Amino acid sequence: MTKPVIDIRQVSKLYGGKHENKVYALNNVSFTMVEGEFIGIMGASGSGKTTLLNVISTLDQATEGTVMIAGTDITRMKSGQLSDFRAKQLGFIFQDFNLLDNLTVHDNIALPLSLQDVPAAEIKQKVKHVMENLGIAELADKYPATISGGQRQRTAAARAIVHEPALLLGDEPTGALDSKNATSLLETMKKLNEEQNISILMVTHDAMSASYCRRILFIQDGRLVKEIVRLGPRESFYQEILGVLSEYGSARSSGE
Amino acid sequence: MLIQLAVSGMRSKLKDYIVLLAGLVMSIAIFYMFQTMAWNTGFIKENAVINSIRLVYGVGSFLLALVTFFYILYANGFLLSLRQREFGLYMMLGARKEKIGRLMLIETIVVGVCSLVIGTVLGVLLSVVVGHLMSNILEIELSGYYPLYWPAVLFTCLFFGVLFLISAVWNRLRLARRQVLQLLNGNMQADRPARGGAARVLMTIAGCISLGIGYFCLVFMEQLRELGLLTATVMTPLGTYLLFMALLPALLDRLKKNEKRMLRGMKSFTFGQLSFRIHGLTKMLATVAMLIALGAGAIAGGLAFMNNALVAAESSSVYDTQVHNPNQEQLRLLNSITFTERLEYHYKVDHEMLYFVQEELESQRPLIKEEYNSKSWNRLIRIQGPPPAGSSWNGDYSPDPQWNQFLLDMTPNDQPYGEYRVVNKQQFEELASKEQRIVLGKTADFLSYKAKWRELDRLEQEKLDAAQSNWTVYSKFSIYENYLGIASGTVFMGFFLGIAFLTMMASCLMFKILTGAAKDIQRYQMLRKIGVRRERLAGSIRHELLLVFLFPGLAGLSHVLVGMNLFSFILVEPYYRIWVPVAIFTMIYSVYYLITVNLYQRIVLPGKE
Ligand SMILES: Nc1ncnc2c1ncn2[C@@H]1O[C@H](COP(=O)(O)OP(=O)(O)O)[C@@H](O)[C@H]1O
Ligand SMILES: [Mg+2]
Repeated sequence: MTKPVIDIRQVSKLYGGKHENKVYALNNVSFTMVEGEFIGIMGASGSGKTTLLNVISTLDQATEGTVMIAGTDITRMKSGQLSDFRAKQLGFIFQDFNLLDNLTVHDNIALPLSLQDVPAAEIKQKVKHVMENLGIAELADKYPATISGGQRQRTAAARAIVHEPALLLGDEPTGALDSKNATSLLETMKKLNEEQNISILMVTHDAMSASYCRRILFIQDGRLVKEIVRLGPRESFYQEILGVLSEYGSARSSGE
Repeated sequence: MLIQLAVSGMRSKLKDYIVLLAGLVMSIAIFYMFQTMAWNTGFIKENAVINSIRLVYGVGSFLLALVTFFYILYANGFLLSLRQREFGLYMMLGARKEKIGRLMLIETIVVGVCSLVIGTVLGVLLSVVVGHLMSNILEIELSGYYPLYWPAVLFTCLFFGVLFLISAVWNRLRLARRQVLQLLNGNMQADRPARGGAARVLMTIAGCISLGIGYFCLVFMEQLRELGLLTATVMTPLGTYLLFMALLPALLDRLKKNEKRMLRGMKSFTFGQLSFRIHGLTKMLATVAMLIALGAGAIAGGLAFMNNALVAAESSSVYDTQVHNPNQEQLRLLNSITFTERLEYHYKVDHEMLYFVQEELESQRPLIKEEYNSKSWNRLIRIQGPPPAGSSWNGDYSPDPQWNQFLLDMTPNDQPYGEYRVVNKQQFEELASKEQRIVLGKTADFLSYKAKWRELDRLEQEKLDAAQSNWTVYSKFSIYENYLGIASGTVFMGFFLGIAFLTMMASCLMFKILTGAAKDIQRYQMLRKIGVRRERLAGSIRHELLLVFLFPGLAGLSHVLVGMNLFSFILVEPYYRIWVPVAIFTMIYSVYYLITVNLYQRIVLPGKE
């Protein structure tokens, strides 16, 4: 059996200070992800998707529970260790691309490597490789402000994988893209997953995007409520997702 | 590598850094200029009319240091806000927190050192320029004033060195406390709920008490003296800060609720904007209020000293000029002046006695002061009683104090005993000695004829010199000039500090503008997209900034109006013509408001289509 990339047990996250209303953004969440998986997390907005991703990505701490990433318990790590861990094991793609507008596309992609003081020759070769892989080689010397949204997101994706992380995390990576650009990014992610065996965990509320995943976890009010696995073609998986969504969507709206 | 990246990041925000640097440089230059005077005891002693001048400078230095301290912390907060998103991104990508912290530390220190060097140089240059300008405008000599004064350089460097070190550490701590996510999301903070009831009530009470004590000390400055000065210096700012922090958010909430009831679309957005950021603004606005109080106060103080010269002159004599036996030239000059009242009397002198003509006095009754003290110098009355026949010297005269006051004032300088006798026309003509003549004149505004008075004094001096007299001219104008000469250094300091403080205030508000701008661009673009007209957005900006300007403006002015009592133990009338500095300040402030609005609209509003 392949080893787990993510293994989280009974994780809860409580928001709200002493005098405020307390909100359980995550409530007793447990799941495991093995190497090479492509998992989607779906749920209504406010259901806790981002919180879950932030806890996994070590950007935020869980209030309770254990979070193991690539075999290490990150809830026990110090801030310095967490930084090193992020630098080596994780790659991020966010909805807003988080590129630095004073750096060229090439330098933005090189950032995770140059922050680790990787030798220049090696950086050059690695960045060139991912850029070709993602079809943005000709953008190398442009600045983020002068390229399209789709190109920016692909730049962010390139930055997320340039250091060959164990896990790629995406928070609604297609959220700001039109369907053509979204599809092309998703195809790229699929390729990375299938050809380079990169594990991907992606948050989305869009069924089309989710249909690229191999497995989908549904979250509602901070709890995992359902899980479906893709067995057949993408088309039927898409229909299945829509079915689950309407089931939980209506359950939710009738509960309110 | 990280350093290279950071430098490139800094370069991309050059515009913001220039504003930051400009603000720091200005505050350092101002501090330096103040120190050139504070450490130059020779200059102060020679130029100041105040006895406890060292104390005044001590208090001034303390206030300036206090305000500068908050200002530097605020400016460095701005520095952090410029960088936090970039640093957050580095941390997300795995840069260690300590490394980022060190970077922040280095950056703060580099910015500090740069601004210290430029600021000190600018301070020296400004001291030269301002010194020249002021002595020209105020027509005064500044003796013993050195623009490049080493003790001041040393103290400025020491003071700011320590300040920058503190704020570097402070920034580092703040960075360390923040989570990566907070940094990444930048100024996207949730609206903090208004401070809990109990805490707010406590702060309000403490603030009222402090401000009350401060104001009390200012009002009774004459009685409390040094103790009052010290207490007021500590209590007034303390009260201001407490009240701003406690009341401003609550006040805005009230306003917002009122506006909501009226349901006037754009205004609810404006108030939403304001109350969203008011928590971060209270301390800055309190600092602005203090800066306004200090700036407008310094200008008002300087003007008060200048006015005091007029008060001194006016209380020396009622009439603006008096010329004994005017010659042709003097007469021509006198005729060129528009007098509201011109009197002419004849007199004769024998031995030690002056003779006046009763009929002349009767037909030209003069104005005198209602009471003979300096407090009521501008309350004049016309003499009603009959001119006293007889003499002030031998017993047949019952002294009429009003005529006595007037006739003594008219006595020529070389007649120091001032004995006189009022005789009728016929008796006067029978007297053997030569008939002499005196012209008195009063204008509507003493100060608008300064050139004429100077010329009259010169002609009079020529006459005295020709007669080989030892006397120098003693006139209302000479009193005015003398007084101004003594006060000039103080007047200069007042203007100088006033401008300095107001400049610091301006850059404080500028930081506010720039920190908010990035997020506001998105907000206004969004509103524009959903169809809000450009004019309404512009109106909203005007409205928001008006409130931001209004509160500290009012608080500052109120401090000035109460604070002018500070001068009551030095000046006859600190409140004389107080509307002049108030008007000057209001004008500067309004212009600055308009500039700010314009600038902000240009930054955040999408361009005209
Ligand atoms: N910083 C925060 N402080 C307080 N509550 C928060 C914070 N972030 C998220 N929440 C709350 O946690 C819940 C989950 O939020 P989030 O994970 O962002 O949802 P999603 O990404 O699924 O839309 C929401 O109810 C939200 O209000
Ligand atoms: Mg989310």
